[in-house]
Amino acid sequence: MMLRTAAWVAILSATPLLAVIAPPSGWVPARWDGTDAKSLDILAGTPINCLLVTSYAPEFVSSATARGIATLAVLKPGADPADPARKAIRAGLQGVVMEGDFATGTAARVRDMLAGEHATVVELTSRARMPLGGPDPIVGTYQGVWPGIQVLDNGAAKAAPSGSPWIDTNTGFIRSVRAWGPASVWLGYLPPAHSVVTGERYEAAIADAEMAGARWIVALDDDFFGRLGRGDAAALKTWRGMAQVLQFFESHSEWRGLRSYGKLAVVQDHEDALLSGGILDMIAAKHTPMRAIPGQRLTPDALQGATMAVDVDAASLTPEQREMLKNFARAGGTVLTAPPGWKGQSVLQPGQITLDTAELDRLNDIWHDVQTMTGRKNLGARLFNVSSMLSNVLTADNGKQVVVELVNYSAYPIENVSVQVLGTFKHAQLITPEGVQKDLEVYVTDEGGTGVDIDRVSACATVRLD
Amino acid sequence: MIKAAPGPEGTPAAAPVALAKCTSYDEDVTARLAAMFGQLGGLDRIVRGKTVTIKLNMTGSPGLRVDGRPPGVTHYVHPKLVGATAHLMGQAGARRIRFVESAWATSGPLEEYLLDSGWNVRQLLAAAPGVEFENTNALGKGKQYARFKVPGGGYLFPAYDLNHSYEDTDVFVSMAKLKNHATCGVTLSMKNCFGMLPASIYGDDAGVDAPNENPTSGRLATMHEGRRQPSKSAPAELDPSSSREPEYRVPHIVADLVKSRPIDLQIIDGIESIAGGEGPWIKGIRRVQPGVLLAGLNPVSTDAVAAAVMGYDPRAARGTAPFRTCENTLLLAERHGVGSADLRKIDVRGVPIAGAMFRYES
Repeated sequence: MMLRTAAWVAILSATPLLAVIAPPSGWVPARWDGTDAKSLDILAGTPINCLLVTSYAPEFVSSATARGIATLAVLKPGADPADPARKAIRAGLQGVVMEGDFATGTAARVRDMLAGEHATVVELTSRARMPLGGPDPIVGTYQGVWPGIQVLDNGAAKAAPSGSPWIDTNTGFIRSVRAWGPASVWLGYLPPAHSVVTGERYEAAIADAEMAGARWIVALDDDFFGRLGRGDAAALKTWRGMAQVLQFFESHSEWRGLRSYGKLAVVQDHEDALLSGGILDMIAAKHTPMRAIPGQRLTPDALQGATMAVDVDAASLTPEQREMLKNFARAGGTVLTAPPGWKGQSVLQPGQITLDTAELDRLNDIWHDVQTMTGRKNLGARLFNVSSMLSNVLTADNGKQVVVELVNYSAYPIENVSVQVLGTFKHAQLITPEGVQKDLEVYVTDEGGTGVDIDRVSACATVRLD
Repeated sequence: MIKAAPGPEGTPAAAPVALAKCTSYDEDVTARLAAMFGQLGGLDRIVRGKTVTIKLNMTGSPGLRVDGRPPGVTHYVHPKLVGATAHLMGQAGARRIRFVESAWATSGPLEEYLLDSGWNVRQLLAAAPGVEFENTNALGKGKQYARFKVPGGGYLFPAYDLNHSYEDTDVFVSMAKLKNHATCGVTLSMKNCFGMLPASIYGDDAGVDAPNENPTSGRLATMHEGRRQPSKSAPAELDPSSSREPEYRVPHIVADLVKSRPIDLQIIDGIESIAGGEGPWIKGIRRVQPGVLLAGLNPVSTDAVAAAVMGYDPRAARGTAPFRTCENTLLLAERHGVGSADLRKIDVRGVPIAGAMFRYES
């Protein structure tokens, strides 16, 4: 993926000198194998401001710093990371990324060693070893599913029990991780090898993470990166589309701070919740707005505003937490408790990020009950013509504003999407990465909520209702 | 030109069929349809002051798409055609226009199924006075199922229990897509009526004794393959030892249905469609743009012309395209006395078949 110097094409020439490096929480990361400072030109006009590099040259680092781009050295298990970490900081990099499962205590030792250097240490571990609820400004993993619609061998989309295609997503996992605290969440998975990755798939990878409040560490396949470096017109067009989606979410970073508008709370042992394809993703596929609550973080505040709760793993709750759910039920909430003895993954294995067949079979029992309980009820919002999409329904000001984020995982724009939100709203605005900011007609739905119709959704779109 | 086999002497009467070219849904579909209804003698005389029930062709889950395209341009009838039909029927004085379909694997409101298909329900409601919707996959808004006996006895069942909408109507319309069907060769106005069967009774999770009012399955095991019987509340199969082959059963059931619930008006959407099967779950399908519309007053005659437009002999025997592996529903319906599939007897109005032909197979 090395880039040829002469081939680099500048997209925008105006680059601010000595720009300020953003704090880690504002870093928009990408993996970058170009060590030539000219390669940074391609980042102009994008919100990417943090590069993960495996090798670096002084001119590259200084040029990046001058552009306000943080550089982080990627360190892998195998050798003691102390020396390369020290060397990276001395070379002017802003920190290191420890990618992989290092021996316990290694990251703390590197942090201690770099104390006083104003260096940032980011851990990209397996999902099983993520330091959740800790003080780090960034938590991350190198693992993830490549988002998109599952396709059968014959080219047809895989049909889920609902009859809709199944969408591989990391959103359930991200929701669970974000329930542990305010740290930025980074996903460092790579594009699938030996595959042609289209622009739409890259945009879906970005939007899948961003919709749930995380950031995908942009990683381009070798072919794409090479074509980009040569100024290939099609590659540049794809890159601009990706940048547009990134910019869309970064321009609305306030959405990350909003709470779920979902009236359904899913209380789940955190190890189960870190697997993709589980109950959270199944509920998301039905576009039922929900809030993920790790059993360990169950509090009355977490349940506030919810009307239904699914207690996936009752045995893992403390007596006090069980009492909370009883009080929730006494106050009129509906609680669905998994059958006694039901338990998903007992111990999350480092290499595992999805449920296996046996676990999926077991999950089907509780899934059937969840479907029966939720039915066609509006638990925050109901969405129509969204089978190739996933959504996130968020709120600010105790329900006075609702934001509905939509991500399209298909290669085609979807026309005529309907959104029916619980509550009365007078104004609705459609916001898209393409720059659309359009007022939508609002109407009263049959059930007394607020409805809006969206003409077209390309990669993603958001409706904001006030 | 199609080499269509002549029908035997004494076949039932034929009815005129209107055939028109229409290359895009962006054309004035309403004007095209109005002209076609005029060629059939006018819509007024059929619908004025009447309750009209229109069975839509919306097979399979709206979530399953062909190349991600809206289902209206692939395997569902297109909502613009539906809206145009409602508008014209309203203009012609229809008192009530009820759109029906047995929505796949659900008994929820049909409006939600339409929304999930990307249709604008509010526009449809505004297209004419008295527009309403009913999901006929279960009891719906009715209090009991309507029993439709097959006059003269059925091929597979003596009678079928259907949603009340098929009985509580003055005019019954089948609005279908011009496409192939893996089990029946072609999906046209008659095969569309297989979807009248409520999954509550004929579905794979139908109740054994009584209907299951919350069905979540299709009808594969019960009706296609005969691996189980419908709910006992409905008339039982005439001969449970008969063939269990779907390619035998489904055409016979369709012929029974159109005999027991006559179709007064047929509208077939061939503007854009698919060839090679009825939906995205069929391997090898492809999108096509035949650019045609058909309307008729006898389902066998209308389907015969439609099959000819697709490049097939509507009287082809089993073993010949499009009925390579299945019985010919058109001939079964003809044998039931529903109408004639004999092209020589059918008065095609508007564009001649040769001028509208779009071969579904080369």
